[in-house]
Amino acid sequence: MKGERALLRAGEYLVGFACRRLPPEIQGERYREWAAELPAILHDREIRPAPYRAVRMLGYAADTLRGTGLMPGRGRPRLAGTASPLWPGLLVVAGSVAVVWDVRDTVRAPGHWVNYVQLAWALFLVAWPISQYAGSTVRMTGLIVIGGGLAGLVVCIWTAVQAPGDWVNYVSVFLLLVLVLVWYLVRRWVRTGQA
Amino acid sequence: MTVPLERVLRAFLEDPTAPRYGYDLMRAASLHSGTLYPLLARLEHQKLVASAWETPQREGQRPRKYYRLTSEGGRAAWLELARAARHQGAPGRLLPGTLAPGRLAPGPLAPGTLG
Repeated sequence: MKGERALLRAGEYLVGFACRRLPPEIQGERYREWAAELPAILHDREIRPAPYRAVRMLGYAADTLRGTGLMPGRGRPRLAGTASPLWPGLLVVAGSVAVVWDVRDTVRAPGHWVNYVQLAWALFLVAWPISQYAGSTVRMTGLIVIGGGLAGLVVCIWTAVQAPGDWVNYVSVFLLLVLVLVWYLVRRWVRTGQA
Repeated sequence: MTVPLERVLRAFLEDPTAPRYGYDLMRAASLHSGTLYPLLARLEHQKLVASAWETPQREGQRPRKYYRLTSEGGRAAWLELARAARHQGAPGRLLPGTLAPGRLAPGPLAPGTLG
């Protein structure tokens, strides 16, 4: 296949990146095991057309990153490039202050869409370092969705209380509830492998 | 027992003595790598699955890691699948691929720690 070498290298990079999240004593063995499957997937004649094989191979490599979060005996993950909990701790504190500030701004001016964007970003600042310490990237997404959804709900319920006659507030509450519910169902589907 | 675990056990039981490598199991069980490998690691940790590296057949070939059920793992797999079939009210449906998907009854394979 054209570009096979580059594709394999990309796959190996992803597997290597995933393995760096594992305890040092098992990194090498896991890398050898997972990387050994890359050429097999790329040459699997049962998968057609050829570009799809490349996609499958890269998908396999990328998904090992998710798998490292579920491996038994996995060490406590650390933020890349940090050796102490100082920076994540600072991020959580800064993010929390930003969340409180943005919630206040949003409640004061619920029609100003920039406040919602800022609030979402502040929630990400809090969710990201926590998820790095707590578990996988799926958890990170979950924290962001749940955190953002609940904060949005609080804001919408508050504005609905302030202006009970405004039907838009009720629609917003409903939409946010649906968002959280959809996230829960998708996560359940991913875990069980069934729709 | 979770659905991914059930699929992996069924894949192994298609030929309990045959060693299977990761990609082979991925295809047989229709699982992604991020689901399969942690599952295999847990089964291996519980000594229900044993692994061994293959000897490269030619120079430059990357050796693969093969997995197979241990005798204890084989017994546990059959027991779990039988229990699952009973739970679903279909004791005769034990052949691989014949169980309907869904969450199954907890059993001796440490529910919640697998899959």
